[in-house]
Amino acid sequence: MSKQNLILKADDLSKRYEDGVLALDHLNLDVRAGEVYCLLGANGAGKTTTINLFLNFIPPTTGTCYINGVDVTKDPLEAKKYVAFVSENVMLYGNFTARQNLDFFAKLGGKTALTKDAYYQVMRRVSLQEKAFEQRVKTFSKGMRQKLGISIAIIKDAPAILLDEPTSGLDPKAAEEFLEILQELKSEGKAIFMSTHDIFRAKEIGDRIGIMKEGRLVLERTREELQFEDLVKIYIDYMKSEPHMA
Amino acid sequence: MIWTIARKEIASNLLSYKFFIVILLTTLLLFTSFFVLYKDYKGRQADYELVRAKPGEPIAVVPPNPLSIFAKGLDEAMTRSFEISPIGIDVRTGQKSGNAVFAFFPAPDFVYVVKIVLSLVALLFGFDQVSRERENGVLRLMLSNAVSRATVLAGKWLGNFLSLAVPFVLVTLIGFALMNLDPGISFGPSGTGRFLLLIAIALVYIGLFLSLGILVSALTRRSASTLVILLLVWSLLVFVLPNLGTLVARQIIDVPSVKALSEKRTQIWTREILLQIVEQRAVNFRGDGAIRKRHLDAINTELNALEADYRTKFDRLVRLSKTINRLSPAAGFVYAATELAGTGIGEESRLKSEVIRHKDAVLLEMDRGVKEHPAFVYRYRTVGRVLAEGGLFDLAWLTIALILFFALGFVAFVRYDVR
Repeated sequence: MSKQNLILKADDLSKRYEDGVLALDHLNLDVRAGEVYCLLGANGAGKTTTINLFLNFIPPTTGTCYINGVDVTKDPLEAKKYVAFVSENVMLYGNFTARQNLDFFAKLGGKTALTKDAYYQVMRRVSLQEKAFEQRVKTFSKGMRQKLGISIAIIKDAPAILLDEPTSGLDPKAAEEFLEILQELKSEGKAIFMSTHDIFRAKEIGDRIGIMKEGRLVLERTREELQFEDLVKIYIDYMKSEPHMA
Repeated sequence: MIWTIARKEIASNLLSYKFFIVILLTTLLLFTSFFVLYKDYKGRQADYELVRAKPGEPIAVVPPNPLSIFAKGLDEAMTRSFEISPIGIDVRTGQKSGNAVFAFFPAPDFVYVVKIVLSLVALLFGFDQVSRERENGVLRLMLSNAVSRATVLAGKWLGNFLSLAVPFVLVTLIGFALMNLDPGISFGPSGTGRFLLLIAIALVYIGLFLSLGILVSALTRRSASTLVILLLVWSLLVFVLPNLGTLVARQIIDVPSVKALSEKRTQIWTREILLQIVEQRAVNFRGDGAIRKRHLDAINTELNALEADYRTKFDRLVRLSKTINRLSPAAGFVYAATELAGTGIGEESRLKSEVIRHKDAVLLEMDRGVKEHPAFVYRYRTVGRVLAEGGLFDLAWLTIALILFFALGFVAFVRYDVR
């Protein structure tokens, strides 16, 4: 793939918190347009820290994040134009309806002239029930909120989408529907970076899979490479291994 | 973008029970306050009609101030009648037809409602703006967009301020318009202007507490902690500090009590009367009038000196109390609002000086044998003078505190860990 297709890039990225914990240790990774990158790892491995660094929620100790070629630390507002974010537990504004939430976040994302139909269309696309469009979000199940979260990401139409354990806590059907949406977005050329615990779904959707342990990217495999390897076994082996072995 | 966030805040407030209940309670409180203080004013106005000076009578009395409906301040003390006689000024105490309950509880006027209730309401609107949105994760989603934290904070402040200010101003203006329907109450252009300024000061005060709420919200991780801290800070600013100032000032400046002053007056009187009797006996009560006059003059001179000394000390005490109390924005607001309404400490002090001046003029005329005396006329200070004599300082202090809290809130929010 050409360099122009590079949408997300972490260049020698490290993060040491004030309490001395090294959450991320010289991470190098990139995600290209039309690619799904799944980052696996136990709790505290550094997956969410990586996303937080890409979103400039925390400054890196060393290294640089780039979104669409823009240095996130130097020009965070410009960089954030090219990224959408879906969290593990999309909460939104409970007193607002799904459409009102979508409208607000679309405007924050720079889409100011969208019609009600445009919002409905996106919500239909993510298979949110029609009757829920004008319902207050506080009545929504987690699955419905996650769908609305991905609607917000879709409507922003950014080249990169960051997802922080988006299928965690979803029932299998909802998780499957969610992955179908991601497949569609991938086919539209979005660069998708997803942190997850779910090895099976990562293998199902990921074009590349990284395994993190104690802040380090200890393994990276392409979909093709994994055809001949057992990802579950590799993952468990890495989790069991001593830090220096990893 | 600021307006997009502000609109979201307004819509979010309009859809919440918190907003509905708070606005309903505030409206009820304000209207109740207007009604109660209106009745109180009418009662005092009726009293004034009874005690007002007949032509030529040496009585100094001013009618109740219509703006006392909104900022009662010291209006009750100012509208007592001061009877002038050769032996000094006698304050009529039996003229207290105001609501007796106010002796036990503060008058729930507009200033009181804003000072206590609306400051708390503003904090309640501000406390969850940062810490709660962090807790539920909305802040991360919001800041994952190309929107600066300054914009988010400004939008939140503006939206919440408008959510509070618009209903508050509407209810207050409706109350004011209803008062104007009574032909017995005339605010005039000056009163209306002062009232509008009063609303403006109240808005600055509300904005200040909203900024404080957001500041503490941006300094804490959990909304429950934010609320507890804010309640403590609110109690300190609204209740503790204004009382502390007065207590501290009393320790520094020694002012004789009213009782001690009264006893001293009696002593002067007794001494001079006894001296007069002794002198009159010595001359077999010849030249009686001259002796009497000399002793009355001596009494007047000594009482005036006593009064002047008391007032000097009292003024120092008031000045020091005010200075210390001003640490609390609540005190600053009360000073600015009452002075503007013409019911403040400065206005009352000025009225007393005018009464003393009137007394001296009347006594001079009495000496000359004039029986009829000109009526006492008191003109309230102009708005310009009120502002120049401390009002502007209080207003500036409130505005600076608002800007300071907002700026500190911004700094805290910029450094805030949204994770």
